[in-house]
Amino acid sequence: MERQQRFMSERDEYQFQHQGAVELLVFNFLLILTILTIWLFKNHRFRFLHETGGAMVYGLVMGLILRYATTPTDIESGTVYDCGKLVFSPSTLLINITDQVYEYKYKREISRHNINPHQGNAILEKMTFDPEIFFNVLLPPIIFHAGYSLKKRHFFQNLGSILTYAFLGTAISCIVIGLIMYGFVKAMVYADQLKNGDFHFTDCLFFGSLMSATDPVTVLAIFHELHVDPDLYTLLFGESVLNDAVAIVLTYSISIYSPKENPNAFDAAAFFQSVGNFLGIFAGSFAMGSAYAVVTLLFPLTHLCHLTKFTKLCEFPMLETGLFFLLSWSAFLSAEAAGLTGIVAVLFCGVTQAHYTYNNLSLDSKMRTKQLFEFMNFLAENVIFCYMGLALFVFQNHIFNALFILGAFLAIFVARACNIYPLSFLLNLGRKHKIPWNFQHMMMFSGLRGAIAFALAIRNTGSQPKQMMFTTTLLLVFFTVWVFGGGTTPMLTWLQIRVGVDLDEDQKEPSSHQEANNAGKSTTKTETAWLFRMWYSFDHKYLKPILTHSGPPLTTTLPEWCGPVSRLLTSPQAYGEQLKGDDAECIVNQDELAMNYPEQATSPCSPPARPGLDQKASPQTPSKENIYEGDLGLGGYGLKLEQTPGQSQLN
Amino acid sequence: MEPGDAARLGPERVVRALPSRLLLLPLLPLLLGRGLRAAASASSSGAAAEDSSAMEELATEKEAEESHRQDSVSLLTFILLLTLTILTIWLFKHRRVRFLHETGLAMIYGLIVGVILRYGTTATSGHDKSLSCTQEDRAFSTLLVNVSGKFFEYTLKGEISPGKVNSVEQNDMLRKVTFDPEVFFNILLPPIIFHAGYSLKKRHFFRNLGSILAYAFLGTAVSCFIIGNLMYGVVKLMKIVGQLSDKFYYTDCLFFGAVISATDPVTVLAIFNELHADVDLYALLFGESVLNDAVAIVLSSSIVAYQPAGLNTHAFDAAAFFKSVGIFLGIFSGSFTMGAVTGADVTKFTKLHCFPLLETALFFLMSWSTFLLAEACGFTGVVAVLFCGITQAHYTYNNLSVESRSRTKQLFEVLHFLAENFIFSYMGLALFTFQKHVFSPVFIIGAFVAIFLGRAAHIYPLSFFLNLGRRHKIGWNFQHMMMFSGLRGAMAFALAIRDTASYARQMMFTTTLLIVFFTVWIIGGGTTPMLSWLNIRVGVEEPSEEDQNEHRWQYFRVGVDPDQDPPPNNDSFQVLQGDGPDTARGNRTKQESAWLFRLWYSFDHNYLKPILTHSGPPLTTTLPAWCGLLARCLTSPQVYENQEPLREEDSDFILTEGDLTLTYGDSTVTANGSSGSHAAPTSTEEVLERDLGMGEQKVSSRGTRLVFPLEDNA
Repeated sequence: MERQQRFMSERDEYQFQHQGAVELLVFNFLLILTILTIWLFKNHRFRFLHETGGAMVYGLVMGLILRYATTPTDIESGTVYDCGKLVFSPSTLLINITDQVYEYKYKREISRHNINPHQGNAILEKMTFDPEIFFNVLLPPIIFHAGYSLKKRHFFQNLGSILTYAFLGTAISCIVIGLIMYGFVKAMVYADQLKNGDFHFTDCLFFGSLMSATDPVTVLAIFHELHVDPDLYTLLFGESVLNDAVAIVLTYSISIYSPKENPNAFDAAAFFQSVGNFLGIFAGSFAMGSAYAVVTLLFPLTHLCHLTKFTKLCEFPMLETGLFFLLSWSAFLSAEAAGLTGIVAVLFCGVTQAHYTYNNLSLDSKMRTKQLFEFMNFLAENVIFCYMGLALFVFQNHIFNALFILGAFLAIFVARACNIYPLSFLLNLGRKHKIPWNFQHMMMFSGLRGAIAFALAIRNTGSQPKQMMFTTTLLLVFFTVWVFGGGTTPMLTWLQIRVGVDLDEDQKEPSSHQEANNAGKSTTKTETAWLFRMWYSFDHKYLKPILTHSGPPLTTTLPEWCGPVSRLLTSPQAYGEQLKGDDAECIVNQDELAMNYPEQATSPCSPPARPGLDQKASPQTPSKENIYEGDLGLGGYGLKLEQTPGQSQLN
Repeated sequence: MEPGDAARLGPERVVRALPSRLLLLPLLPLLLGRGLRAAASASSSGAAAEDSSAMEELATEKEAEESHRQDSVSLLTFILLLTLTILTIWLFKHRRVRFLHETGLAMIYGLIVGVILRYGTTATSGHDKSLSCTQEDRAFSTLLVNVSGKFFEYTLKGEISPGKVNSVEQNDMLRKVTFDPEVFFNILLPPIIFHAGYSLKKRHFFRNLGSILAYAFLGTAVSCFIIGNLMYGVVKLMKIVGQLSDKFYYTDCLFFGAVISATDPVTVLAIFNELHADVDLYALLFGESVLNDAVAIVLSSSIVAYQPAGLNTHAFDAAAFFKSVGIFLGIFSGSFTMGAVTGADVTKFTKLHCFPLLETALFFLMSWSTFLLAEACGFTGVVAVLFCGITQAHYTYNNLSVESRSRTKQLFEVLHFLAENFIFSYMGLALFTFQKHVFSPVFIIGAFVAIFLGRAAHIYPLSFFLNLGRRHKIGWNFQHMMMFSGLRGAMAFALAIRDTASYARQMMFTTTLLIVFFTVWIIGGGTTPMLSWLNIRVGVEEPSEEDQNEHRWQYFRVGVDPDQDPPPNNDSFQVLQGDGPDTARGNRTKQESAWLFRLWYSFDHNYLKPILTHSGPPLTTTLPAWCGLLARCLTSPQVYENQEPLREEDSDFILTEGDLTLTYGDSTVTANGSSGSHAAPTSTEEVLERDLGMGEQKVSSRGTRLVFPLEDNA
C-alpha cells in the first residue's frame, strides 16, 4: 500500500515534469517559428516587421490558442486553506497529508480579489513564469550585450548629450508621465471607475518611471541595416541603454519610498532618502560593475599570457570565453547580493570590459565571446517578446481600463516630447555639431517601449493598480513595437535623414589611422568637454598601458622617477605594437568587428607596424594583387593561430 | 506522525477549513518557534491591527528580498567556484600537469566550499512551519493558504519521508545551495550529452560500431546484474550484522546496479586526447561511455517501473519483468527514433546561409526541442538528445554554412564545458551540504568491490567474444585499459540524486558520490602511468612546437594521431573504392563491419544524404528512373553545383575534437593538389604551398573574420 502510494506520487511527479517539458516546448516552437519567419523576411527585405514584432505575433496566437482551446483541469488547486495560527508566511511549509509529509515552498502573496480567476486552468498557470526569471536570467545577457556593443568612438563623442538624455530626460519623462497619469486617475475616480485611495501618486510615479525605459531595438536594427547616420544611431542607442539603467534604479527607489506617517503624503525626508537611494544604488552598481571588469582584466594569467610569453596559455580560447562569461555573470550576482541593481552593474561591466578587457583576449576568444553574447542576446530578447505576446492572454489578472490606457498613450507622447525637444535645444546651445530638427523628430518617434518596461511591470502584479499598469504596459509595448517599428523606414525617408551613408566607411577610415583618426580626434576635442578630454588622455596614457597590452608603454608616459614601476607594469607587447592602441577604441562595433581583425592580424605579421600602416593608408582602392597578398598573409596568420597561437613573435 | 496523533491533537488547534467536500482540516504547527511568538505579539497588539499589517507586509517584502539575496549569493558561490576552477586548469594545462583533470579539480573546490558552508554558517531556523492536514489523499501542486486574512501561494517542492520531518534543513544557506535534482536532468545533462553525440568521431565510431554496441548494451546489462546481485549479498550481510535500519529490496539493488553502470571517463578521454593515444581505443572507450549513459538511464527507469502485480511487491514476477523489458525497449527505441527524426529533418530546404546567428539559434533550439519533445512524450530526453546529436552531426552539419558550423561547435563546447564543471563542483559541494547522507561502510566497501568485479565481468568476456569476430583484435593491454577506465561521473550522480526519498536511495546516493570521487581522483590521476605501464602507443610523434605543420603531415602519413587520422577519401562509399593506402583501410572496414553496416552505408550515401543534406550524389542519379520526378524535387540545386568530391568527402570527419580547421586544411590540399595519399617526404616548398592552401581554406572556414574583407573588396 505504501509503495503503491509512493508509486502514485512518483507518477504525479512525472506528470508534473512532463508539463514543464510541454511548456518549454511551446516556447521552443514559437522561437523556431520566429526564426524561420525572420529569415524569410530578411531574405525578402521586408522591413516593416522586426523579429521582435514577429515573436510577439506568434506569442499572441499561441496565447489565444492556449486560452480558449484548453479546458480547466485542476479544480482543487484553487481551494484556500485557512491557517489562523500563522501570522506571517514562512518560506517553507510542511504539510502532513494522510501520513505523507510534503514540503511546500513559498511562492508569492496573492491579493484577495485574485483568488477566483486563479482557480482553474493549470496549463495557463504553468505558462506563467516567475517574473524574477526575467530579471535574473533573461535581462542580463541583453543588457550586457548592449553595453558591450556600444560604439565606443561615437559614443564618447556624444557622451555629454547621451548622459543628458539618459539622466535628465528620464527624470523629466518620469515626472511628466506621473503627473499626467495622476490627472487621469483623478478623472477616473470622478467617473467612478476607480475607488478613491486605490491609486496613489507614488503609483503614478512608479508607472512613469517604468514607462521611461525606452528600448528601440526595432528602430536600431533598421538603422543598422540601412546604415543611418552614426551620430543619430549612437544618440539613440546610448540613450536607450543608459535609460534602462536609470529607469530601473528610479523604479526601485520609488517603490521603497515610504514616508513615516501618512504613507502617501509628501515627506521631504523620505523624498531625499529616495533620492539618496537612487544615487547610492546607481553609484554602487556602477562601481561594482567597473570593479568586476577591472578584476577580469587584471587577471594575472591573461596578463602573464603575454608578459612572460608563455604562449601556451593562449591556447585555450574556450577557457577564456568561459571565464569572461562567468565573471560578467558574477558582476550581476554580486551586485544583487549586495542589494544593488545587478543590471546596472552588468551594463557598466560590459562597457568597461569592451573598453579594456577585450584587448587582452586572444583573437579566437574575441570571436567566441562576441558570438556567444550575440547568441544569448538574440535568444533572450526573442523569448521576452514572445512571452509578452503570450502574457496578454495567459496572464490571469488583467485589468483593462480604457481611460487609463488612453491616458498612458497620451502621457508617453507628451513626456517624450518634453524630454527630447527642450533637452535638444539646451544641448544645441553647447554642441558644435548641432542636433538638427529631423534628428530630434526621429528621436521623438523612436520612443519605443520594450523588454525593460515589461520586466519592471511584471515584477510586481500583486495589487490592483499594479495589474492595471501591467496591462497598459503590455498594450503600449505592442502598439509601439508594431506601429512605430513598422513605420521607421517611411519615417526616415520622410524626415530626409541620410541613409546608407557611412557607417561602414566611417569605421573603415578611422581605423586606417592617419588622417581620419586625426580628424576624429580633433572633433572629439572640440565637442566633448575638457573633463572628457582629461579623462581621455589619462585613460590613454595610464590606464590602458596598465590594464591592457595596448597603448604607449608606461615608461614613456610616466615621469622618470617611477621608472621601475612602469617597466614592471608595461607588457612587452606594448613596446612593439604602439599602433594597436589606436583602433582599440572602435574595435567593438556591432558587426564590423570582423573588419578590424584583418588589420590587427596583419600587423603582427609585418614587422613593427610601419609597413602595415603604409599598406593601409589607401584602403579605398586596393589593387587586386594587394587583396590577394593580404589574403595569403591572413591565411598564414590564421593558421599559426590555430596551431601555435600567440607565436606571432616568430614571424 | 500517525494520523491518530493528528486527530487527537486536532480539535484544539482546528481552524476553519474552507470549501466544499473537504473535511475539516486540522492544521497544527509542528515547529512553533517564531510563529507562536509572532502570534502572541500580534494578538496582544490587536488594536494596532492596521499598523501591524503594514508592518507585516514590509516584513514579508523584506524577507522576500532577503531570500532573493541569498539566492544570488548561492549562485555566486557556484560561479566563483567555476572561475577558480578555470583559472587553475589554466595553470595546470600550462604546466602540463596531468594527474588532476579539471573535473577532479572542480570537485576539490566544491568540497572546500562545502566544508565552509557546512561549518562556517549558522543554522537560521524558524522559517519553517509544519502543518498537518489529514483530509487529503493527494498533494496539490499549488496550495493557497489563508494566513490571517492574507493569501499566500505555495508550490509543492517534494515529499519528505515521515521519519525525516525533523531533520529538514534548518540552515537557509545550505538549503539554497541544494538544487532541485531535476535541474541536472533538464538543464545540465542535455548539453553534455548532446556535445558527446555531436563529437563522436564518426569514422572510427562506425568502424567499431559492433564492438561499441556490444559493450554498451550487453556490457551495461551484465554489469548492472552483477553489481545488483553482489550488492544484494552485501545487503543481506548487513541485515545479519544488523547494520541496516530500513528496508532494502532486490529491486533497489538492481537500481543501484543500473545507476552505477553509467561510466563517464571524461578524465581518461581528455588525457587520451591530449596524448594522442591509439584511436581505436579512444573510439571504443568514448563510444562505450556515451551509449552506456543512454542504456543506464533507460535501464534504471525501467527498473523503477518494475511493478509486480501480486501482493508481495518485491517477489519476482515474470509478467512484470517482461513488462519492464518492454518498457526498456519501448523507451529506448522511441527516444532513438525521435532523436534521429528530429535531428534529421532540420534545415534541408532552409538556406539560412546569410545569417549564421539565425542558423545557430535554430540548431540550438531544434536540439533542445528534441529533448523536450521526448520528455513530453514520456521517453527519455537524454537518449533522444544523444541520437539527435549523432544524426545532426551526420546530416545537418553539412547543411550549415561554414561560419555557423564553427559557431555552433563553439557554442556547444562552451555549454558542455560549463555544465560539466558545474556538475562536478556541485558533487563536491553535495558531500557536505546534502542533508540526508547515510554512510554505511559495509555497503560502500561492497559497492567498490562490486563495481570492479562488474567492470571485469563485462570487459574481459565480451572482449573475448568480440575478438572471435574481429579481425583487428582488441589487445590485452587495451582490455586492461578499458577495465581501468571505468570511471563514474555526472550521469551516475544525476541518476542517484534524482530520487533520494527513501533510506535505500539515500545510502545509494552517498555511495555513488564516494565512488565518483574515488574513481575520478585515483583512477583519473593514474591514467598516464597506466598508459605507459600497459605499453599503449601514445602520441607517437609528439608535436614539437616549431614545425607542427610538418609533424601534422607525418601524422597524416602514419595515421595515428587521433585528430589527424582521417584519410582524404573518407566517406565510406569512397573508401570502399579507394586506391593506394586507403584500399587497405577500406578492406579493413569491409571485413570488420558486418554487411549490414555496409548496406546501411550505401543506402545512407545514395539516398538519405541527398534527401537530407546538400551533399552526396544527386538523387536523380541514384534513384531508379521511374522516380525521376520525385528525385528532382527532393534534390537541392546545390547538389548539382557541389558535385566536386571535396564537399561531400569531408562530411564524415568534420567533427574531430579540436582541429576542425586543420581537417579542412587537409582536405583542401587533397582537393587542390595531388591525391594527398602520396605522402613522400615533402620539400619545404611543398609545405609552404600547403600552408598557403590551408590558409585559403581557412578564409572560408573561419567565417566573419576573414570572409568579410573578401566580399568587401572584391
